[in-house]
Amino acid sequence: MKLSTKLTLFITGSKLAIVGLFILLLPFLIGQVASNYTNFSLKNQRKKVIRNINNKGMDYYLEGQDSYGSYTMLKDEYIALEIAAPDLKLDTIRDTKRIVEQDTLAYRVLSFTFTRNQKNYLLEIGKTTTSINQYNDALQRFALYVLIILIALSIIIDLIFTRRLIKPLGQIIKLRLGNTRFPFKRNQQPIKTNTYDFKYLDQSLISLMNQINEAFEKEREFTANASHEFMTPISILQNKMENLLTEEVEPESLQEHIVEMMRTLERLKKISRALLLISRIENEQFSKQEQVEPLSLINEVVEEIGHRLEEKNIRLNIDLKYNNKQAQMNHDLLFQLFYNLINNAIKFNRENGYIRITDHFDKGKYSIQVINSGQGIPATEIPHIFDRFKKTGQAENTGYGLGLAIVKSIASYLNLNITVTSVAEQETNFNIRFSTNDRSV
Amino acid sequence: MKVLIVEDEKTLAFEMEKFLKKAFFLCDLAHGFKQAVEKLELNQYDYILIDLGLPDGDGFDLLQKAKKSNPDAAYMILTARGKLEDRVAGLDMGADDYLAKPFFLPELQSRMQAIARRKFKVADELLPLGNFNIDLQKRFVFFEDEQIELSRKEFDLLSYLLLHKNRVLTRIQLSEHIWGNFTDGDYDSNYIDAHIKNIRKKLNMYAPTEWLETVRGVGYRIKK
Repeated sequence: MKLSTKLTLFITGSKLAIVGLFILLLPFLIGQVASNYTNFSLKNQRKKVIRNINNKGMDYYLEGQDSYGSYTMLKDEYIALEIAAPDLKLDTIRDTKRIVEQDTLAYRVLSFTFTRNQKNYLLEIGKTTTSINQYNDALQRFALYVLIILIALSIIIDLIFTRRLIKPLGQIIKLRLGNTRFPFKRNQQPIKTNTYDFKYLDQSLISLMNQINEAFEKEREFTANASHEFMTPISILQNKMENLLTEEVEPESLQEHIVEMMRTLERLKKISRALLLISRIENEQFSKQEQVEPLSLINEVVEEIGHRLEEKNIRLNIDLKYNNKQAQMNHDLLFQLFYNLINNAIKFNRENGYIRITDHFDKGKYSIQVINSGQGIPATEIPHIFDRFKKTGQAENTGYGLGLAIVKSIASYLNLNITVTSVAEQETNFNIRFSTNDRSV
Repeated sequence: MKVLIVEDEKTLAFEMEKFLKKAFFLCDLAHGFKQAVEKLELNQYDYILIDLGLPDGDGFDLLQKAKKSNPDAAYMILTARGKLEDRVAGLDMGADDYLAKPFFLPELQSRMQAIARRKFKVADELLPLGNFNIDLQKRFVFFEDEQIELSRKEFDLLSYLLLHKNRVLTRIQLSEHIWGNFTDGDYDSNYIDAHIKNIRKKLNMYAPTEWLETVRGVGYRIKK
């Protein structure tokens, strides 16, 4: 799952959870608030009543009687004042029932005793409990709406912000890691961000890529230099042996030894040349300006190599229906590529086998297939056949493991895509897909 | 024919000299830029072989200098660099051919002779070979007046052996001459043998080919 999706889900989820919890708690909370507020207002009223009594005197209310009571019309509030037993001391608020004009009503009652003129008085202020909770529903609904709007707003803001925040990460992934073709681009521009972590990540990636580039460069240089340096000593040895041969050395068996040595030296020469070729391709020392017609190219290859078909009596069938001309190619490299593929197709073929070279459009792109009968390549080996010095283990003494490595470096240089499929004991198929998608013939 | 070999690897220069001497070339050696310039000022050569990687100067500079003092010579560039650009640059500067090291000595000689045919306009001549005649330029083989069809490779093989007559050529030397650097080292296979067999078959229909010898364990030779 992408980080942005995860963050979105997390933000939305966590907010919804908190809101859910709040909604569950809301009736209780509002009840609490209402109850506390009622207590508070009861105490306020008590203060006012005491102030009034202080101002106007006790008799103003009692008018000579023992008690005083006052109700609002709907009986939702009342105030009572009466003489109490001298030892009664009260200062409480509690819910209790009162009978008022035959109705039993639930009240919250503040009871308070105080002394005036050596008499103990009891003041009661009551509020019906229904009136306490009368606004709860409306309040709850209102709170809910406000909450939902706030949550929605905050989710939107969070999403916009996180999106902006992690945008550099997306850029880093796209620019640095997506579509990386080796070797990496030089002098990569750092991504603009003021998030330290992203800056650090980006810089680390750039420096890692530069390190890889450097290491690769060194390896390439080494390969080129080493194989190049081999050439002169190989020349000397080879020419010495050639001269030895012309001297008609005796006995004859010595001549055979010299030829043996020349053959071994030839191997070394071929390996050095192949490595040099690979490093030259990788150093982009070949032009890519030529137009190549596949059919004539393949015919050239077959002319060079065709005689080897007779060895195993192999049937060759070239059927290029589209023969789509390819631009931005290098004739020699493409020749080498098909030479190596067809050479392998012969080498790993069976007696009386076949080779088919056909073309088609694969995913809209012109492709050539080189198919040969034979043992096939085990699926486990296919990923490794393009590695340098890897033998497929099919036959002994078959090349030096560089033919397909050359094919691979040519292909990547010319932007060709090679896929290999193989059916054991039947056939092997090398599919070369060109990068142009021009269908015109 | 006088040859100047400009090559800083002395052993290599000696081996080239040794081989070319047997083919009746007169060889002179220079192991560096300065020495080469001196020799070029004093002598006229028919062939000048220049190694590009000289320790005390650039091979291309030497080529340009030499062209002034020896304008009629045939120039060959020998290099271990083997880069395409070098080759193009060398040919642009008036070199007649280019050989990448390591090369086979018979190949060097046959290239030199090919330049000679081109450059010095050696008259068409039919080279006799047993009862046959061979026209190297037009690439024909005749028996009396009858032309014999050989494939391109077969003719290449025959003419190469003829050029180096009385000298054994190994299968490696032959196959590099005919297939260049493309071969991937399957020298134990019998491509050369197959071609030789074909040549013998085609020619034997007209006359015996005992002059085309198989040297056991080594290669082939045309003996005259």
